[in-house]
Amino acid sequence: MSAPVDPTLHTAALAALETAINRALALSPHSKAELAQLEDAVFALHCTAPVLDLYLHPGAQGMRLTGFHQGPITTSIRGKAADFAELASAKDPTATLINGGLELEGDSAPLIELQHILAKLDMDWEAPLVDSLGDVAGHQLAQVLRSAFAWGKQASTSLARQLEEFIHEEARLSPPRLEVEDFYRDVQELGIRVDRLESRTERLRQRLQKLRG
Amino acid sequence: MSDKDTTHFGFKEVDKDAKAGMVGDVFHSVAARYDLMNDLMSGGIHRIWKRFTIELSGVRKNNAVLDIAGGTGDLAARFAELVGPQGRVVLADINDSMLQVGRDKLLDQGRLANIEFVQADAQYLPFPDDSFDCVTIAFGLRNVTDIDLALRSILRVLKPGGRLLVLEFSKPRNSLLSKAYDTYSFRVLPLMGRLVANDSDSYQYLAESIRKHPDQDTLKDMMEDAGYCEVEYHDMTGGIVALHRGIKA
Repeated sequence: MSAPVDPTLHTAALAALETAINRALALSPHSKAELAQLEDAVFALHCTAPVLDLYLHPGAQGMRLTGFHQGPITTSIRGKAADFAELASAKDPTATLINGGLELEGDSAPLIELQHILAKLDMDWEAPLVDSLGDVAGHQLAQVLRSAFAWGKQASTSLARQLEEFIHEEARLSPPRLEVEDFYRDVQELGIRVDRLESRTERLRQRLQKLRG
Repeated sequence: MSDKDTTHFGFKEVDKDAKAGMVGDVFHSVAARYDLMNDLMSGGIHRIWKRFTIELSGVRKNNAVLDIAGGTGDLAARFAELVGPQGRVVLADINDSMLQVGRDKLLDQGRLANIEFVQADAQYLPFPDDSFDCVTIAFGLRNVTDIDLALRSILRVLKPGGRLLVLEFSKPRNSLLSKAYDTYSFRVLPLMGRLVANDSDSYQYLAESIRKHPDQDTLKDMMEDAGYCEVEYHDMTGGIVALHRGIKA
């Protein structure tokens, strides 16, 4: 009857994660207000590797994480940890949900909204630093952190763009996005033409049968 | 058990009528330093145990929740957030010192809109039938004189479909852990009680009362006998603590 895994560790890990998420949300002034719009939503994340069930309850106070939930669930997602990580960092979560390895049940719109809120966390480092270090030191350290983050973000975007160019244009390891989209469009058009041809052939066959009969 | 005139108070056998007063004296004595001692004795893990209790309670907005032996209000504070302004949380404790410490703490935190404070005995709850969606009793059941009577009294005040959650010390599964736990309970706890709260007897009682409390399966049977259905329990920290849950049909 007892749970196979001691819930103490699981619950402690969730408590630590919840604290970390809420600390980050506290530094991002708009995020809590945006999360409040998802107040009644419950997101179930069923991770298959490693095995872990997690429920997210967003609200005006931040994010609540639980290992158990009884009641209606807005969106349920099942997949591997790597798939969840991909979704969390995706620029286009809809495409990741469609093309990725995640299985989704329920309403996808609140999930995409949640992903947007978490992905665009805009942390204000200055307020807590000024509180603990004073106006001058706090402001200066915040400037340094802001510059470092801005540089990091710029460097990462630039690296991603260069890598994309190298893969598509230089090494030709994979076709560029536009080429793929053109190809898909052509395939789709071909599919429609084949359907039309099939209908026309069928009509001709029926006419021929009538003429013979 | 209920037809005997005596019951246990730690390892001592005492008159049934005397136990409530004796337990009351213990909690009058520890009330002021209850939170500090809980953190010291459990290394803060009692917060994790309580968090798991809240998760399993399934308490939602607008629910009515009764927290018996609510002590210093750890569970009640969290329930008050979960039920929202339209919900209702009752923090009940038989001991007025504990209730006063809990009430002061929650009022200091600004939590008063949806919390009521009631001095009540778990055996004779002063609420109408079918009043609560959820009742919790954390680290309180072993201090009740007649556990069967308390379980039936709680069942009466639960709404059909309502849940009782009992968080209580239990029996460790592993024999090595059990020995280490015994040494800790009977040597370290009273010493800690003497140093921090200047009261080793109360903490000696704490250790003894845990050993006299029914083990996981016995308490599960008692809950089923009292009329709860779908009774289950979860061992926590190797069985040092167990969380039992039963539903009113």
